[in-house]
Amino acid sequence: MSGSNNGNQTEIEVRGLNLWYGDKQALRDISIDIPKNSVTAFIGPSGCGKSTFLRCINRMNDLVKNCRIDGLIKIDNKDIYAKDVDVVELRKRVGMVFQKPNPFPMSIHDNIAYGPKIHGAAKKDIYGIVEEALKSGALWEEVADRLTTSALDLSGGQQQRLCIARTLAVKPEVILFDEPCSALDPISTSKIEELIMELKQKYTIVIVTHNMQQAARISDYTAFFLLGDLIEYGKTDQIFENPRMKQTEDYITGRFG
Amino acid sequence: MTTGHYREKVIESLLYLSGVTAVIILFLICIFLFKDGLALFQKYPLVEFLTGTKWYPTSEPHQFGLLPLLFGSMIVTFGAIVLSVPLGIVVAIYISELAGAKEAEVLKPLIEILAGIPSVVYGFFGLVVLVPLLQNTFDLPTGQNALAGSIMLGIMALPTIISISEDAISSVPRAIKEGSLALGSTEWQTINKVIIPAALSGISAAVMLGIGRAIGETMTVLMVTGNTAVIPGFPEGLFAPVRTMTATVALEMGEVPQGSEHFYALFAIGSVLFITTFITNIIAEYIKRKYRFNLGSGQ
Repeated sequence: MSGSNNGNQTEIEVRGLNLWYGDKQALRDISIDIPKNSVTAFIGPSGCGKSTFLRCINRMNDLVKNCRIDGLIKIDNKDIYAKDVDVVELRKRVGMVFQKPNPFPMSIHDNIAYGPKIHGAAKKDIYGIVEEALKSGALWEEVADRLTTSALDLSGGQQQRLCIARTLAVKPEVILFDEPCSALDPISTSKIEELIMELKQKYTIVIVTHNMQQAARISDYTAFFLLGDLIEYGKTDQIFENPRMKQTEDYITGRFG
Repeated sequence: MTTGHYREKVIESLLYLSGVTAVIILFLICIFLFKDGLALFQKYPLVEFLTGTKWYPTSEPHQFGLLPLLFGSMIVTFGAIVLSVPLGIVVAIYISELAGAKEAEVLKPLIEILAGIPSVVYGFFGLVVLVPLLQNTFDLPTGQNALAGSIMLGIMALPTIISISEDAISSVPRAIKEGSLALGSTEWQTINKVIIPAALSGISAAVMLGIGRAIGETMTVLMVTGNTAVIPGFPEGLFAPVRTMTATVALEMGEVPQGSEHFYALFAIGSVLFITTFITNIIAEYIKRKYRFNLGSGQ
């Protein structure tokens, strides 16, 4: 099953992607074009392969033993599974925010500074980068006076925004969100949603969510996955108001999932 | 009160009693150790004990100078740390981060077996294999020297350092590791800058326990260090025979008349050992607190 986004410039192009964990096929023949500077949501019931697919885009699945992939993923017209691709460089360009906030056990400042430092930012620039990233991550005002305190003392919502800011600090082109709000309360969730909508000005955003309202609220495009297949992909309005496929309609109207 | 309640109470009191007994025993050991240790200073000045450079317990007049033994213990322990800490941490990193599951399954029990070998066996191995090897390699008058003690103690401290460091490193949540890799850091940067700092309190506890083991170890050092009570030079003293505090107590306790000055002097050494271990533990606690960015509870 394939999907196209009719129009906008494509940032991520996927063709015929299959993925197996051992003998078990987790993704079947996925093809999709994800447009630049937009929010694309992956929805579907648990175990449908949406997170697995997300983790193909920054090659986090490389860490999983027995995981085998074939097919094509191009970012900016470059095959990311080509032999000459530096995974480290790829992950710098394709940032990821995880399901549970995972700040490093260091100070707030050091959490943000970590990425730029390993990528060789000059010492004198670090503070500026940290400030800018925290501002872009909508966290600066809350933490400006306690940058040296432990990131683990922050609330869950603040930690997640810190993780977003940490990703922004390495200046990626694409940001992958893997159910970023599933561990957060409604107020923190709405802050993150606002932030994601702001970030799409500069970044291409892909978000996996089990929350259909969230997908409807913040995404421009929505892809519906079921049991390893991409069932339907299109503009979010169309998917939610006028789904073409029966399974999509059943899912978004709450008949299963 | 029902029988059920009654039994609960009995079990609770029994547990409480066992806990209290352990504390009391520890307390009594302290009292007797320090009482007999301090008894020395009724006749022999404390300052001379602490600053004396000669340990001549049987000559007339007696000289109970602690320094040769203290420095003997220190140089052997120092050598053991230099050898075992880097090696132990590297092995722990290898097992927890780089080795495959099967490899780790083989390595871990093997390392634990090292911890179960009696110290006299280590001493025997040191005496028969290591001592002649050192003597020939460095062309020394004797291979029974501080270095031999350091190497043996280093080997003996390895299992402690490896298994406790490995626990600490493995318990760093996978999510943190993934977070680092997702920022585009290499495996090594992740290990070096994120995982090890996150595991640092556990690793320092491992190092301190390793040091504790090295300071307190008796039989092995007694067998391989030559037991000459002179203040070792540094670093050339590594190649000379030394006598540690523990070896002194073990060697002389059997022959000393109870209640003599010499007898009390050995207890004074015991007290010094006790205090040293105590300080080591306090330092371990301090390091733990300094790197307090622990791995938060729930988040």
